[in-house]
Amino acid sequence: MNKRRGRRIGLSTLGVVLALIWVFPVYWMINSSFLPNRTLQRFTPTWLPFDGSFRNFKAVLADGSFFTSLGMSLAIAAVTVFFAVLFAFLAAIAISRFRFRGRASFVLAVLLIQMLPAEALFIAQYKMISSVNLLNTVIGVSVIYIAAVVPFTVWMLRGFVAGVPADLEEAAMVDGLSRTRAFFKITFPLLMPGLIASAVYAFLQAWNEFTVALVLLTKDESQTLPLWLRGFVQASATRETDWGQVMAASTLVAVPIIIFFMFVQGRMTSGLVSGAVKG
Amino acid sequence: MSVATDRQPAATVPTRRKRRPIMPYWLLIPAIAILVIGTGYPTLWQLTNSFREYGLPQQFGKPAPWVWFDNYVTLLTDGQFWAVVLRSLIFCGVTAGVTLVIGLGIALLMTAVGRTVRLMLQVSMLLAWAMPVVASMTVWTWLFDRRRGVVNYVLDKIPGVDMYRFDWLAEPLTFFFVASVIVIWMSVPFVAFSLYAGLTQVSEEVLEAADLDGATGKQRLRLIILPIIRPVMSIVLLLQIIWDLRVFTQITILQDAGSSASEFDLLGTYIFKLGTGSQHFGMAAAASVVVLIITLVVSGGYVWRIMKEDSK
Amino acid sequence: MKKTMVGIAAFATAGALVLAGCDSSADETSAAPTEPGASAEGQNITLWVMGGDTPAELRDYLSTEYAEATGGTLTIEEQDWGDALSKLTTSLPDSENTPDVTEIGNTWSPTFTTVGAFSDITDMYAELGGDSLLKSFVDVGVVDGKNYALPYYFGSRYNFYRKDIYDAAGVSVPTTLQEFSDVTKQLTTSDQSGFYLGGSDWRNGISWIFANGGELAVKGDDGMWVSTLSDPNSIKGLEMLQDLYTNSSHAPVGEFDSTPWVNINDNESTGKPEAATIIAPGWAHWSIGDLSENEAGDPINVWNDEKNGVFVLPGVDGGVAPVFAGGSNIAISAASKNQEGARELMKIIFSPEYQEMLGANGLGPANLDYADSLGDDQFAEALRTSAASSKLTPAAPGWAAVEGSGLLEEFFGKVNGGGDIAALAAEYDEKISALLNG
Repeated sequence: MNKRRGRRIGLSTLGVVLALIWVFPVYWMINSSFLPNRTLQRFTPTWLPFDGSFRNFKAVLADGSFFTSLGMSLAIAAVTVFFAVLFAFLAAIAISRFRFRGRASFVLAVLLIQMLPAEALFIAQYKMISSVNLLNTVIGVSVIYIAAVVPFTVWMLRGFVAGVPADLEEAAMVDGLSRTRAFFKITFPLLMPGLIASAVYAFLQAWNEFTVALVLLTKDESQTLPLWLRGFVQASATRETDWGQVMAASTLVAVPIIIFFMFVQGRMTSGLVSGAVKG
Repeated sequence: MSVATDRQPAATVPTRRKRRPIMPYWLLIPAIAILVIGTGYPTLWQLTNSFREYGLPQQFGKPAPWVWFDNYVTLLTDGQFWAVVLRSLIFCGVTAGVTLVIGLGIALLMTAVGRTVRLMLQVSMLLAWAMPVVASMTVWTWLFDRRRGVVNYVLDKIPGVDMYRFDWLAEPLTFFFVASVIVIWMSVPFVAFSLYAGLTQVSEEVLEAADLDGATGKQRLRLIILPIIRPVMSIVLLLQIIWDLRVFTQITILQDAGSSASEFDLLGTYIFKLGTGSQHFGMAAAASVVVLIITLVVSGGYVWRIMKEDSK
Repeated sequence: MKKTMVGIAAFATAGALVLAGCDSSADETSAAPTEPGASAEGQNITLWVMGGDTPAELRDYLSTEYAEATGGTLTIEEQDWGDALSKLTTSLPDSENTPDVTEIGNTWSPTFTTVGAFSDITDMYAELGGDSLLKSFVDVGVVDGKNYALPYYFGSRYNFYRKDIYDAAGVSVPTTLQEFSDVTKQLTTSDQSGFYLGGSDWRNGISWIFANGGELAVKGDDGMWVSTLSDPNSIKGLEMLQDLYTNSSHAPVGEFDSTPWVNINDNESTGKPEAATIIAPGWAHWSIGDLSENEAGDPINVWNDEKNGVFVLPGVDGGVAPVFAGGSNIAISAASKNQEGARELMKIIFSPEYQEMLGANGLGPANLDYADSLGDDQFAEALRTSAASSKLTPAAPGWAAVEGSGLLEEFFGKVNGGGDIAALAAEYDEKISALLNG
C-alpha cells in the first residue's frame, strides 16, 4: 500500500513539475505584460510584477482594432471548426464503417496531402482566392484553413469511430431503433472526446495561423489577431518596439482559447465516464 | 461486451443492403471537395511552375518560359541544398523523437494522476499550445538572450559555470539546440492531448486484469496500451516528422534574433528565402517538390505500415 | 493499386480543370483602364506606407487634403517592412486589390520599376518638382528615360557619441576614417564597445566600402550587372571594417542594424552605456538621451547636450564618408483602377506644404528646395551633410532579390567574424551576381 501511495505522490509531483515547466513561458508572457518596456530591457529579470500596471493593456486596446480583429478571428475559427469537423466526421464514418472502391486511395491521399510544403504556396493561394473575389473575407481564408485541417481530423476521427464497434448499434437496432437513431443515441456520444479534441485542434490552427492570413487579408479592418499582434512588433522610425505592449497584446490573443477550452473541457472527459465502451 | 483491443474497423454490411453502397461516396464528397479546392489548385500551380522560370517579372505579366528540369538540376547540384537537407533530417529526427517520448510520457502521466494534477497538466499544456507563436518566440528569445536572458542568469549562478553573455544563437549547434527545445515545447501539448484522447479508449478492466495476472507496468504498457493507441501514435508521429522537417516560423524568428546565414537554414527557411526572398518562385516550387519527395521517402515505409494496418 | 491510380488520376484531372480555369483569369495584369478625361472626383484610393516612418500628423494631412480635392476617401495602410516584399509581390499585379499609390523602399525601386509595376508619370515630373527632386532617388525610378517612381523622403546616417566618455578619455571627434578606427579602439573596454556595430550590419558596413572608392556592383558595357566585392577598393574597405569590428565592437556577429540607440543610452542595470559611439539613421535621436517621463507618464529619452553629440562619419582623407542613403520612393501602381485619384494624391504629396511638413518631422523632403524645413539644429546639419554625400545601393533589376536573400548579411557576418576577405568576396560576388540581373 505504501509503495502505491509513494508512487502516486511521486507521479503527482512529476506532473506538477512538468506542468510548471510547460507553463513557464506563458507565465513570463503574462508577467511581462504588466511591466513597462524599460524594465524589460534590464539585465536582471523581474520575476513578479509588483510595480506593474495595466498601462500596456490600455495602450493596446486604445484604438479598438483588437475588437475588429477578434471578430474576424472568431468568425474564421468558428467557420473552420464547424465545417472541418463536420466534413472530416462524415469522411471518417465513410472510411471506417464501409468498404468501397477508392477507399484505399482516399486514405492514401489524406496521408499524402499533409506532406505538401506550404511555404511556396502563397502566390497560388492569393491568385486563387482573389480570382473569385474572396480576398479579405472570412470564407476565402476559411476555405484554405478547412482544407489544411481536414486530413488530420479525418484520421483522428477515423480512429475514434473505428473504436466504437458497430455491434452496439446492431444491439440497439434489435431493440427496435432505426440505424440512424441508434447511431445518434449510442455511438455519437461515445465519439464526443474525439470530436472535441478535433474541434480544439481545428480552432487552434485557425486562431494562430499567420502566413496565409498575411497574404489573403490585406486590409487593416480584415486582419486576424496574429496579424494585429504582428503590428506591435515592428520598430519604426519614431518608436522602438514596446515589448510590454507586445506581451499584453499576446495575452489578449491567447485568452479566448483558454475560455474555449474551459468550456469544452468537461465534455472531453465525459466520454470516459459513460462507460458504455467498457460494456 | 467487446473491447476494442484490435484495430479492425467495424465494417459490417447487413445482407439487406445493396452490395455496392453509395452512402460512403456521399459522405466523402464534402471532404474531397474542400481538399480539391483548398489544396488542389495551389499544389498543381506549384508543380506546374516548378518546370517554368517564374520570377517577379512573371508576376507582373511576362510569360513564364518552360525550362523543364533546369530548376531541379540547379537545385540538386547545389551543395548548400544538401547541407540543409542533412541538417533538417537530423533536426527532425531528434526533435520528433523527443517530442513523442515526452508527449507519450505526459499522456500516460495524465491517466495515472488524480483529477487536480491532471487538470493542472491539461491547463498548462493548453496554455502553452494556445500561446501565439510570435509571443512564445519572443519569450523564448528573451529567455535565451545573451544579456537579459533568464537561462544565462540562472546557469551562471551554478558555481564553476560561466555563462556571462553567452550567445546561444551564435553557433549552429547551440542555435539548433535552442530551436529544438522550443519546437519540442510547442509540439508536446498536441501530442500529449492526442495520445491522451486515444488512451481514454483503453479499458480499465483489461489493465486491471493484466495487473492481477502479474504483468508489470512496463509489460502492460508494451503489450496492451501501445497496441491500442498505435493508430493515434502513428499519425501523430507522422505529423511531427512532417512538421519538424519543414519547420519555418520558429527558425526564421530565431534567425532574426541571431544570424540568418545559410548555416542556420533548415528546409523551411531555405525555400522561403528562395521564393519570397530572391523571388525565384519557380525554383522555390521545385524545391518544394523535392522536399515533398524527401518527406515521402523518409516516411514512406511508415505510411505503408499505416495503410496496411488500416486495411486489416 | 489500380483503384489507387484511378483515384489519383481523377483527383489530378479535377485539379487541372480548376487550374486551367483559375489561371487564365488571374494572370491578367493589364494596365488600368482609365478613360481619357476621367476625373478623380469621388475616387476612393488606398495608400500603402512602409513602417511607421510617416507620422500620424502627415497621414491626417493627406487624408484631409485628398478629401477636399476630390471628395473621395483616402485610406492609408501601414505595411511592416519585413512582410512588405511579399505583399507587394502579390498585391501590385492584382487590379482589384492593389494599393493605388505606394511608398517603396529606394533599394527596391529599381526592381519593381523594371518589372513594370508602376505607372508612367513622366508627364507629371516637372509639375511635381522636376530637377529640384533628389536626383539619385529619381534615377532609381527611371527606365528608358521615363519616370515611374519618384523620391518620397530621404534619410541619412550619422554617428551619435557620448561626449562624457570621449572627454573622460581625452579623445576628440575623429576627422578621418582611420582616426575613427583608432579612437574607437582606444575607447573599447571589456564591457563597453568603442563603436557598436553588428557583425551582419551591411547597411552601415558598406560605408567603409564606399569611403574607399569601392562599389557594391557595377553595370558592364554589355548591360549586365556584376557584383564588385572583390574590387581592390572594396577589399580595402572591408579590411578596414574587419579591423574596426574586431577591435571596437562587442556586438554579436549575427546582429543587424535594428535598434542601435539602446546601446548609447545608460543601461538601467549598469548605469553605463554599452557603447561610446554608434551610427544610426537620423531619426534615432528621438530615442537617445536621459531617461525621463512625459506628461502621460510614458518613459521617454531626453537629449542631453552634455552627454550626447553627433558627428558625420569622416572620409578616408577627411571630409565626409559616403553613407547609405536611407529613404523611400513613391509610385502609382500600374494595375490601379484609380489612376486619376492617385495622381491627385501625388500632387498633394509634392506640394510645398507637405514637403515642409516632411522636413519639420526630420524626414528629408524629396524636393530639395524645401530642405531648409529640416531646421538648423545639429541633427538637421548632420542630416544634410551626410545626405549630400550619401550613396544608394546599385540600381540593378534584381537588387530586391539580393536584399531578400540575406546574402549581404551573411557576407558581412563572415567578414566581421574574421574570415578570409578575398575568398569570401569572390564567393559572394558569384552568388550576388547570379541574382543581380533579375
